[in-house]
Amino acid sequence: MDMRDLVTGGAACAVPGSSSSSSNPLAALANTLIGSSSKIQENKEIPTSITPSSERQIYTETNDHLGALDQPFVDPNAPQHSDFLRGFHGSGGGQTELDAAWNDIHPPPPPQLDHIYDTHPHPQQHQPILDGPPQRMLSSLLHSFVDSSRGGVPFHATPLPVLGLSEGDKQCIRNRSSIMARHIFADKSEDFINAQVNALLCSLDIDGDARAKGPLPGRFRELEDYWNESQGTLKPGFHAADGWVAEFNQQRMVHGANGWASEFEQQHGANGWASEFEQSQLTSVDQMRGSNISSLAAMEQTRMLANTLAQNDDPKFQNSKFLQFVSKMSRGELIIDDNQVKQTALPAAGDWASEYQHQYNRSPAWADEFLSHGPDQWVNEFTTERGQHGPVDDQWVNEFSKLHVHDWADEFGRQVGEGALGENSTDNWANAYDEFLNEQVAARQRSDTSRGVYVFSDMNPYVGHPNPLKEGQELFRKGLLSEAVLALEAEVLKNPDNAEGWRLLGIAHAENDDDQQAIAAMLRAQEADSTNLEVLLALGVSHTNELEQAAALKYLYGWLRHHPQYGTLAPPELSDSLYYADVARLFNEAAQMSPDDADVHIVLGVLYNLTREYDKAIESFQTALKLKPHDYSLWNKLGATQANSVHSADAIFAYQQALDLKPNYVRAWANMGISYANQGMYEDSIRYYVRALAMNPKADNAWQYLRISLSCASRDDMLEACDSRNLDVLQKEFPL
Amino acid sequence: MPVFKTPFNGYSVKFSPFYESRLAVATAQNFGILGNGRLHILDLPPTPSSPFVELASFDTADGVYDVAWSESHDSLLVAAVADGSLKIYDLSLPPTSNPIRSLHEHSREVQSVDYNPVRRDSFISSSWDDSIKLWTLDRPTSIRSFQEHAYCVYAAVWNPRHADVFASASGDCTLRVWDVREPGSTMVVAAHEFEILSCDWNKYDDCVIATASVDKSVRVWDIRTYRTPLAVLNGHGYAVRKVKFSPHNRSFLVSCSYDMTVCAWDYMVEDARIGQYGHHTEFAVGVDMSVLVEGLIASTGWDELVYVWQYGTDPRAP
Repeated sequence: MDMRDLVTGGAACAVPGSSSSSSNPLAALANTLIGSSSKIQENKEIPTSITPSSERQIYTETNDHLGALDQPFVDPNAPQHSDFLRGFHGSGGGQTELDAAWNDIHPPPPPQLDHIYDTHPHPQQHQPILDGPPQRMLSSLLHSFVDSSRGGVPFHATPLPVLGLSEGDKQCIRNRSSIMARHIFADKSEDFINAQVNALLCSLDIDGDARAKGPLPGRFRELEDYWNESQGTLKPGFHAADGWVAEFNQQRMVHGANGWASEFEQQHGANGWASEFEQSQLTSVDQMRGSNISSLAAMEQTRMLANTLAQNDDPKFQNSKFLQFVSKMSRGELIIDDNQVKQTALPAAGDWASEYQHQYNRSPAWADEFLSHGPDQWVNEFTTERGQHGPVDDQWVNEFSKLHVHDWADEFGRQVGEGALGENSTDNWANAYDEFLNEQVAARQRSDTSRGVYVFSDMNPYVGHPNPLKEGQELFRKGLLSEAVLALEAEVLKNPDNAEGWRLLGIAHAENDDDQQAIAAMLRAQEADSTNLEVLLALGVSHTNELEQAAALKYLYGWLRHHPQYGTLAPPELSDSLYYADVARLFNEAAQMSPDDADVHIVLGVLYNLTREYDKAIESFQTALKLKPHDYSLWNKLGATQANSVHSADAIFAYQQALDLKPNYVRAWANMGISYANQGMYEDSIRYYVRALAMNPKADNAWQYLRISLSCASRDDMLEACDSRNLDVLQKEFPL
Repeated sequence: MPVFKTPFNGYSVKFSPFYESRLAVATAQNFGILGNGRLHILDLPPTPSSPFVELASFDTADGVYDVAWSESHDSLLVAAVADGSLKIYDLSLPPTSNPIRSLHEHSREVQSVDYNPVRRDSFISSSWDDSIKLWTLDRPTSIRSFQEHAYCVYAAVWNPRHADVFASASGDCTLRVWDVREPGSTMVVAAHEFEILSCDWNKYDDCVIATASVDKSVRVWDIRTYRTPLAVLNGHGYAVRKVKFSPHNRSFLVSCSYDMTVCAWDYMVEDARIGQYGHHTEFAVGVDMSVLVEGLIASTGWDELVYVWQYGTDPRAP
């Protein structure tokens, strides 16, 4: 404490009034003696803007003015205050202790320092501190974080260039975002909140931290303890990697190479390695907390939350800055900036620590993937791999021990890069779910208004055509779906009881991604021919798409009952009270009866979709595809199922197969877009949507998807073109 | 009524108890997550068509989460700053002399500050460090710390009649009532299943208190029969951030919420929600009612706008 502090009592009790008019004569003396530079120290916070006109109104600039408080601090023993103070019980002790404390601190201790000012001694630097380019990014990142509450769409981790945040800043962000997230995302599950906060922290390269104020104590007590424990034992990043290597070497020396793996398993149990890795992934801690809840439950919760949000039809929410913001900060803008800055920010190859750090940003994705697979599977994979190398265990171990930390990190990085660890699958679920919801909402609206009512086009040039059915079939075969629709409409106008005409019309609409019309047409087809298997299957699929289990079961069961081969399997009395388990059992029987009938496997795949057993569904479709490799709609079904499960990347392959077989398959183009969007590749998704829409501008769903993707890709400039359905502009902007 | 645009996100707005046209607005950059803060002192213009007059503004190194006018001096304000400090500003002094005090004892963000309206010489602050602290202007350290809550204390509010009684609302889902003459809290009300973000005493019945929670509801309690609420006010779509009883009407209260609206309630009638204002385009987090002008409401939000309007009129009306 320097002399000024001793005399003036420090800046904390800076005397009201200018220094010369100080009511504290000692302070005046000090100023005279030491010079008035003290003012600069005292007033660390210099207000910037006071309008000159109002200045006079607010404080009177007179030398004899005493502020509202004449005395800096009044003696606590002064009679007028003692009454009051006696009324209070000191929390830690009695009055005397307070007095003692008072004496001790009179003059009081130096003022608490403000951290921003500490690092930037010149007040004028204070303002720009958060306005430079990186800070603008920070600002918009935080903005999109906050805004992400409204859409229910998870906040995406976006790597930012190094912002130069101090430890204090980081802790602020960590603590505050955790606490605020619990208010803002109140509707959502703890998992969701943690994922949001982690995405934010990851973007900013901030570690999760035990000091952070997490959720309410008690709720996750056990996990917190576990976490704290694990944190004590392992440090993140470099040290952890070092630790492993060291540990590995140790193990190797003691037990010899062959024994290592089994030894390790003995020591740590089957999940040991996985959990150890988990411990070192500091950033993923919160997600790991959620790992107790099965991923299915988490998904269910996400769905419920998304549902709640989707029900908010307040236009303000729909128009809120949310979507615009996710866009503004996210990909487009930031990635460009990011790339530029990243070039310079990235260290020379070989700087292992930063490289790791860089990978580290993506660890939540890893963690998510990890969650979705479950540790067991992962470990299994690990052990199978080991098994394959069985005989060369020694070699493998040697190889491993030869690996530099650097190599290890590279390997890790490569795997991440290859997508071996996948994209953030939680995001995918939620995104897919959002889309699914949109679809559902739209479907519900449709069903309310015009379910089953087929709407004919105006001005149909094929009316009066001598053989519109043949023309329609021909057009359909050529893939000119919109034209085919017109021709087929002409056919069913001419022959309203032509089941085949209605069926083809339904299929054309379905492939054109227009479910409303597809269902309406199929219903008419069924009216005309109640036992047509293809119609029954198509209706079953349509209702499955809308998650209407009862209706779907009805038609799928109908399919079985009317099938010449399996009809005997289906007792007619069952049709009154259909249960999923019964129907699934019957189809499994049918599949056993004739394992080479692709159709049965297709229906089974559809059935498994009903109960969201996607792995089984994928298996069924894949079996069917072996029998019918050229069925493009089957590839599409497989893709859709994969997209619904966690294998969005696989879905793209399946859709591509479908498109190779039938390039004008609008539905597959749109689905492809959805898959890309689910993986966060919005620019790509836009191109596919635009392509789909170019083929069928009436696909309302695709327009909705396109709008979402445009927003997410920061292409607000194209929203107008989207809203006005201006395909020319969109196609020019987004060629495929 | 005019609108005032703040450079940072609004956090709190308070009418001066001395001047009917004056109000203070607490703001924080980047939603208070990181960055600076600014305290604005505004005067309503003489005619509704002219803009607000900004009398002064003070910058802080961290977000300002709340502000309270002194009940004893018309020019004094206390700001609750996110860095854990309380800063006292004197409008009658030149800007270079402000803040006149910086009281730094809270170890975490200070979320609320309330000036004792009866004694007029002390104020309480509540913080994310789970504590509430009692201060007087003339002491450099707090007089007492109240440490019972198990999580962030989002609000602490003096009883309008009893000089020694205050209530606190916390993320530990409890409302506590305290008497500073007692060593511990005198009442614990498990008022909500979710975090409680705000509370306020009825100005006409000193036993009635309202709480606002993350569970989207506002509840009104009589602390003599605290097992069941007097009223549960549903209507907000997201967490309710602040609740405030009218100084002029026994059953009237206003609240603001993360659903971006400000709601007016009459908790004694069946259809309790008597008004909803959707003028904010981002979270509405600050609301206050003037003591001096009946029915005058002010609100601020993360859309960086401050609105002042008369109950029954449209906040956005020119």
